[in-house]
Amino acid sequence: MGHALNGGRISGPAVAVPGGPKISHRRRRQIFLVLLGAPALIYVLAIAIWPLAQGVSYSFYDYSLLRPAKTAFIGFDNYRALWANDAARNSLVTTATFTFAAVSVEFIFGLAIALLLWRDGLFQRVCLALLLIPVTVTPVVVGLVFRALLAADYGLIGYYFSAWGWSNPRGFLGDTATALPTLVVVDAWQWTPFMALILLAGLKSLPTDILEAAEADGATPLQRFRIIILPMLLPAIFLALVLRTMDAFRVFDIFYSTTNGGPADATNVLMIYAVKQGLEFFNVGFASAIANLMIICIAIFSVAFIALIRRADRRANEL
Amino acid sequence: MSRTATARVLAAERSALVVILAIFLMPVAWLISTAYKPMSDIFSIPPTFLFTPTLANFRGVFHYFDLPHLLESSLIISLGSAGLSLLIGVPAGYALARARTKWAIGIAYFFLAVRTVPPVATLLPFYMMMRDIGLLGTWWAVILLDTTLNTAFVVWMMFSYFRSLPKEMEEAALTDGCTSFGGFWRVALPMVKPGMVASALLCIMFAWNDFLYASFLTRADSKPISVALLTAYGTKDITWGTLGALAHFSTIPIVLIALLLNRYFVQGLTRGVN
Repeated sequence: MGHALNGGRISGPAVAVPGGPKISHRRRRQIFLVLLGAPALIYVLAIAIWPLAQGVSYSFYDYSLLRPAKTAFIGFDNYRALWANDAARNSLVTTATFTFAAVSVEFIFGLAIALLLWRDGLFQRVCLALLLIPVTVTPVVVGLVFRALLAADYGLIGYYFSAWGWSNPRGFLGDTATALPTLVVVDAWQWTPFMALILLAGLKSLPTDILEAAEADGATPLQRFRIIILPMLLPAIFLALVLRTMDAFRVFDIFYSTTNGGPADATNVLMIYAVKQGLEFFNVGFASAIANLMIICIAIFSVAFIALIRRADRRANEL
Repeated sequence: MSRTATARVLAAERSALVVILAIFLMPVAWLISTAYKPMSDIFSIPPTFLFTPTLANFRGVFHYFDLPHLLESSLIISLGSAGLSLLIGVPAGYALARARTKWAIGIAYFFLAVRTVPPVATLLPFYMMMRDIGLLGTWWAVILLDTTLNTAFVVWMMFSYFRSLPKEMEEAALTDGCTSFGGFWRVALPMVKPGMVASALLCIMFAWNDFLYASFLTRADSKPISVALLTAYGTKDITWGTLGALAHFSTIPIVLIALLLNRYFVQGLTRGVN
């Protein structure tokens, strides 16, 4: 890596020109790279990290936009309130349940679809292209479409479920017991194809010689899957799980456009809770505490997942 | 396996795929068809599958919405954000891929981490920042905030593209007396065009489909089509038919672009697997 650069005339010390100090080519190259990289870094620090830091400071204040004059430093009280608050705990549990259920469903069906699409052919390629359509649909529209389809009185699906007595008269989204599972299905509709795509890319990058050798040795399809494919696929599996877990944890649009947290807080995920507290009730301090709680959760599972990915990578390389 | 057994497995696989495809495309087909349904058929009980198509819903869209203005907002926000993100993100991806310090990979991961932050965490303080400097309610506010997530994405994408380029060509150009900038602009950049197309596509898609940022940072006169869709819902004159027709302008363009540029779309989504 870069040895040629080191040895070449670019990065060697410049010949001193009489009449003034001259910086080396190596140094000039460094400055050039810093200049290329700096705008993006400064931009993200100013527009993303600076607000985040402000959010952290807000969370230590009793700060409401409705009575800004009464803003006061209250230390960890917002976090204590968050801990003591039933709605907040319920929201955390709802989010975790939703994330776990949605990612599991998407993973199982995604893996099945990826295996079906593995064979290389025109049919499979067309299927994949069409299957990715849900990923591109505006999430708010996805929510509205399912709301219409599931409406108990006139919905294409909801009417029959209600008429056959499978759902209560308010429909699946109007019932505290079924609203969250229904949103898991909606999320799975939109994101299972994405999961399948990542797993398919993983499958296609597997070394074919090992797979063929296993087949020649008379391994049954199930054995091949369990002993060879699954362990070698682990890095792709973890990547797919990480990407989807991060997104499912901060789901907002499909919830906002279907149940908006209801009925009776049954689908009040953390994003909905924080947005309502912050931008509808203007409790900026408390809403920031919720947002920071989310960041802490995400940080914890990214670290855990990265450790898992590293281990899976090492194992896959040993195979 | 015998040949007939293999053929049977193939047929079973294909039928399974067709069924799966039907399930995943049904809601989209419903959305499109609703736009052509007369009002009486949308709310008929039980639901009907056959109907006489009408364009009344499209007339409704033009009557209730300032469609050109909504599209203008969506276009300016998504193209503005994608353009800005590529402008600063591509060079940064290159710099990180070529820098020979151990900081580079750390900074690349930093950009990746920025993408995982829950949007509400930045939205709240940013909302107040924009209010204080008077940009709240303008396209700029949405573009600036969308660009943080998009830039983080572009940097990470392009970092991986530039890193997988063979370095020999650039090095040859540099030893031939090409400037550092020339090496980036004329040698490396043309080789990562697919990566840039893929990045642009996903940036546009993100900003176009974004609802949360746009809905709290814009006003009635600057809102994009994604926000109009949801705020229109529930007002009494707007039916599912009108929404279906409006979705023709909000959702179908992105679906079509993703289908037409499928190769780049897939590349953009799967970068990082291999």
